[in-house]
Amino acid sequence: MLAIRNISKSFTQRGLVLDNLSFDVNEADLIAIMGPSGSGKTTLMNIIGLLDKPDNGEITFKGASIAKFNDDESAVYRNRNIGFVFQDHLLLPYLTVSENILLPLLAARYSSDELAKREQHINKLMEKTGISDLAGKYPFQISGGEAQRVALVRALANNPSILLADEPTGSLDAKNADILGELLLEMNREYGITLILATHSVDLAKKMSRRLRLKEGKLIV
Amino acid sequence: MVPGILKIVSRSIKFYKKPVLYQILIIALLSAVITGSLMTGRSVRTSLKKTASERLGNTGFMISSGVRYVDASLAERMKDNTRINCTGILEISGYCQSLTSQKGALNTHIYAVKSDFFKFHGNDSLSIKPGEVAVNKRLADYLGVNTGDELIIRFNEISDIPADAPFASEKETGGSIVMKVGRILEPINTGNFSLSISQIMPMNIFINLSDITDNTGNALKINRLLIENKNRYSLNEVYNSLKQVLRPSDIGLSLRKVNNTKGLELISSRVFIDEEVIKEIENVLPSSAPVITYLGNRLISGTRSTPYSFVTALSSSIYPEITKGDGIIINRWLADDLVVNEGDTIEMFWYSPDSMNNLIERSTKLIVKQLVDMQGIWSDSLLMPEFPGISGSESCSNWDAGVPIKMDDIRRKDEDYWNRFRGTPKAFINYEKGKELWGNNFGPATALRFPAGISGKEIEEKLSGSLDPYKTGFSVTDLSGESVKSANESVDFSTLFLSLGFFLILASVVLLSLTVSAYFDSKRGQINTLFALGFRNKWIERILFLESGLIALVGCLIGAIAGSLVNILITKALNSVWIGAVQTDTLDTFFNYIPMLIGFLTTILITMVFLMVKIKRYLKMLNRKEKENFVSHSSIRNFIFLLTSSFIATALFAFSVFYKDQELSLSFAAGTVLLITQVLFWRQYYIGWKVRIDNRKPRKGISRNYYSFYPSHAVTPILFIAAGIFAVFITGANKMNFYGEHLKRSGGTGGYLLWCENTIPVKEDMNTTSGRKTLGLDNQQLMKMSFVQAKRSSGDDASCLNLNHVTAPPLLGIDPDDFISKGSFSFSKVLSEGNMENPWQFLYETSESNTIYGIADQTVLQWGLKIKTGDTLILRAENGQPLNIIIASGLKSSVFQGYVLIGMNNFLKYYPSVSGSSVLLVDGDPKLIDLYKSTLTERLENYGINIKLATERLASFYEVTNTYLSVFGVFGTLGMITGIAGLGFVLLRNYNHRKREFALMLATGFPVKKIRRMILSEQMLILFAGVSSGVVSAIVATLPSLTNSPDVPWLFLLLMVLAIIITGLVALVLSVRAVTNDSLTSSLKKE
Repeated sequence: MLAIRNISKSFTQRGLVLDNLSFDVNEADLIAIMGPSGSGKTTLMNIIGLLDKPDNGEITFKGASIAKFNDDESAVYRNRNIGFVFQDHLLLPYLTVSENILLPLLAARYSSDELAKREQHINKLMEKTGISDLAGKYPFQISGGEAQRVALVRALANNPSILLADEPTGSLDAKNADILGELLLEMNREYGITLILATHSVDLAKKMSRRLRLKEGKLIV
Repeated sequence: MVPGILKIVSRSIKFYKKPVLYQILIIALLSAVITGSLMTGRSVRTSLKKTASERLGNTGFMISSGVRYVDASLAERMKDNTRINCTGILEISGYCQSLTSQKGALNTHIYAVKSDFFKFHGNDSLSIKPGEVAVNKRLADYLGVNTGDELIIRFNEISDIPADAPFASEKETGGSIVMKVGRILEPINTGNFSLSISQIMPMNIFINLSDITDNTGNALKINRLLIENKNRYSLNEVYNSLKQVLRPSDIGLSLRKVNNTKGLELISSRVFIDEEVIKEIENVLPSSAPVITYLGNRLISGTRSTPYSFVTALSSSIYPEITKGDGIIINRWLADDLVVNEGDTIEMFWYSPDSMNNLIERSTKLIVKQLVDMQGIWSDSLLMPEFPGISGSESCSNWDAGVPIKMDDIRRKDEDYWNRFRGTPKAFINYEKGKELWGNNFGPATALRFPAGISGKEIEEKLSGSLDPYKTGFSVTDLSGESVKSANESVDFSTLFLSLGFFLILASVVLLSLTVSAYFDSKRGQINTLFALGFRNKWIERILFLESGLIALVGCLIGAIAGSLVNILITKALNSVWIGAVQTDTLDTFFNYIPMLIGFLTTILITMVFLMVKIKRYLKMLNRKEKENFVSHSSIRNFIFLLTSSFIATALFAFSVFYKDQELSLSFAAGTVLLITQVLFWRQYYIGWKVRIDNRKPRKGISRNYYSFYPSHAVTPILFIAAGIFAVFITGANKMNFYGEHLKRSGGTGGYLLWCENTIPVKEDMNTTSGRKTLGLDNQQLMKMSFVQAKRSSGDDASCLNLNHVTAPPLLGIDPDDFISKGSFSFSKVLSEGNMENPWQFLYETSESNTIYGIADQTVLQWGLKIKTGDTLILRAENGQPLNIIIASGLKSSVFQGYVLIGMNNFLKYYPSVSGSSVLLVDGDPKLIDLYKSTLTERLENYGINIKLATERLASFYEVTNTYLSVFGVFGTLGMITGIAGLGFVLLRNYNHRKREFALMLATGFPVKKIRRMILSEQMLILFAGVSSGVVSAIVATLPSLTNSPDVPWLFLLLMVLAIIITGLVALVLSVRAVTNDSLTSSLKKE
């Protein structure tokens, strides 16, 4: 589904961050990207999500080259195919939980029929993740674990092909981290979503089908 | 090594050098404006003091005899007897013309000085050769004359006898003299010598006292005595010294022997002797008896009439035959002429000036008590005063009596009487009766007679040193002290510029607030780290305060130094482009550490208090849990405020429509409240209604919801932009221009067309046929032209053109009849007592207690004199007595600015020696205004007339206000620029605040273009809200000016608003361009 070929990325201050990386991602894959801080995990995730662009190399998604997408094409790609979960939930404090979840739908500008379907899907996701009761609440009225679950539902709102989770449990306690880990796997199982997870957690990584290790910008399989 | 607090602070400042630099610059701007304003104030006052000192030279005190003249020897006696160094001068007003350039200068100060004048002022080597004059550089430059050029100098008539006194000669209209310019005097050579308190450089002519002769051909007297200021005498010392040396001759009194009575009499060179002087003499010499001799037009008995006879009123203390009541003693000649005997009735007719100085023929019936032979005391030609137009005449037909003489009535026998007996009175009445009939503003006696037995020496000795100078027409003024006081109490340019720069100061403070907030936001991580490391709140506060303190200190220091530059710039501007506010280009920049220190300390205090509050609030905010930072904003409360302010704004606007006389202030209030209302409206817009996120307009919903949580992020810039535009707009719209309102009767011109001031007073009544004929104004085309003539006393200009605080303004004696009948001028404040139908009627009121009513421009009262309606202004009347002027009303801005107006009747009473009229208001057909102007210029050329359109005169006062408004406009524009920069900071701060949110939106599929558009549209809405709120409020606030004035600077206002919009848009677009994928993505990681 996703092919990464010879991508490199460097930053002025940090130097070469990703050095000629290549790997493939298949549908419903569970991939853990591991490595020490500064090894380039987030940069790789951002490049996959087209939040950033590689200096060289090729990325193909479902056979199409996407590395040279312009801003608008990148946005559509992200909106339709990628879901992001970050270490911080990044919920907009002035929107309710449901409005936060609906945010990706707003960017897509669906027709009302389609929107209704998506909302139905979201409701199911909210039930599954146990946040239905929080719909009208504001982010500052819910706990960190709940907020991260809201962020997960938001990431899945558009039914993406790939879920990119960058240290999703990094800010959670063990119990909430477990819950979230299980939910991520459940989503993979139930909806066939490809999960690419950047994590330091060995336990969570063990639950993944593939583990990619980054060291000094290089991939150690 | 563990870093100390200073090291942390210094490293932090080094690390955040860019935001630190911004803060330093803003604080420096704030400090520069405050310090610069304070230094400018000091510079202006120091300049005024320097100018005053330069003008006065070594003059400390001035002894003035007002409009009277005293013997020049007084100065010598003062110097010799009291060892007070002084010099006597004659100060007269006049005008001159260069015979070379033909250019003329009106309102020239002419100083006739003795050889010691320049020495007195420290210029020992300076002198003026006989036949030459010295002129100051300003006059030389103005006329374009050099040494050797000739000037014709015309000046006010110099005569002991007041021109308006009964029987004063009508011939004189002033003196003139042609002199060569011998020297051009620089200020250092006392060239700018002046006894007035004003910053405006005078045009001076210095002439030898001996070169000016009065109309009797005698060497002139003086009217000012300058006392040196080196020994710092007290007012009392100077007064006592004057009293000690004052002789009767100094005030024009002279003794002569009366052979017929074997006694002596005191007569005055003014003919009439003041009542106060008589009282003074009677106190010292109780045996003195006043005498008054008057010219009767005719004495009638039955069908017989004797024309033009002098009649004397005598005191029974010296003339025992004189009895009280209506009795009259007549000589045989008259008895024969009228064929009357004892017991018969004679009717006497004479001219007497009424309260407005118009000659009225009055009469009284007297009963003949005694017939006397023309011998001894009854044949006393000395009883006739030395009326200048009569005394020396060879025949009655040559009389220049100052009253209408019917030559046809004079018979051969009358000429014979004149030839034989001259002015020997033909009839005698009781003094009290005579005083009642002929006593006038100039005095109730023509002589004081002493019985035989009192020697001249005794009289001289008793009177010398015992006359009270204040009761004999002198005034003593501490000129040096008053000049310093006037400069110290002058227009406070410190406060003025602080007020004018208020918006800039406010903009700087707001901008500082924004930059500090942005700075703290950027340091949030650092602060959080310190918290995490276990630093206590106080420590962190101390670190931040130290850091901010150092920034403030550097900013304030730079600002205080830059304040000197601001001082230089403002002073230069005041001397050039803003000269309209100060009317002089002689202001100097003075550096003084006190205002610099005050400016520095004030700014640092403001900044530190502000930063302390900011730091505390910021740390408090950081310490709160996140959810506590989301303050719920009460939309209901805001809505109530919105409704209330809407209601008040509407009510004020409605009142402004109905109450036309208060429409300016009501409209301004309505506009101001409307500004608040609109800001509340926008606040309501942001917090009032929660917007459901709509799939069709998602970005709008997101923005609205953001601002509903952070309304201040939108409302602050709206308020800022709106207030800025409001201030600048009303400044532009309120620039004082002329429109219909001013030309109306109720306006500042009173509906009059021309304002004229003449150096040589016009004695004629210009509304009479004879007066017009005399002046050549009897042309048919000029029939509709009418005049209001006003008399003017000397004083310091109290208009806004004089920066000094004035305590002795010039008075205008005016007859308000014309104003009342035409409804001219308007009043802003009127004294409630008196129940006058028209405030002008206050001027008719008279009183015996030296207390009268006066009227002045409200501006003069408030700023020039610093008094209010109902207060009493105390001046000295001509006879030296205090004159209490109760301010009855304050005029709305008018052509009378600079003067205090009193009734003509009172003016004549208290300043009788001021002859003729010196100020004219001309009314007539507006279409013939050019003809009026050219005719008056031509016909009154010899009077040194200066003619202005009444609107021009008003405009000269408006120029001051308009210049202040221009200054405000400049500062306002600077404030707006600062405000626009502030808008950029608001945007930056909002952007930083929401950066992670935007990054998330990017991650969820919003293209960066749409995010930019979202930011831009919400900021544009803020810009639009600010601009529209400001413009709408300003239009409402200035509606009366906008609707009435044809000269509203629409283009300027439009350009200003456009400039603000364009600058704002450019700032927004440039700022938004900084929003990129990279900048957003980097913020997605948890902090």
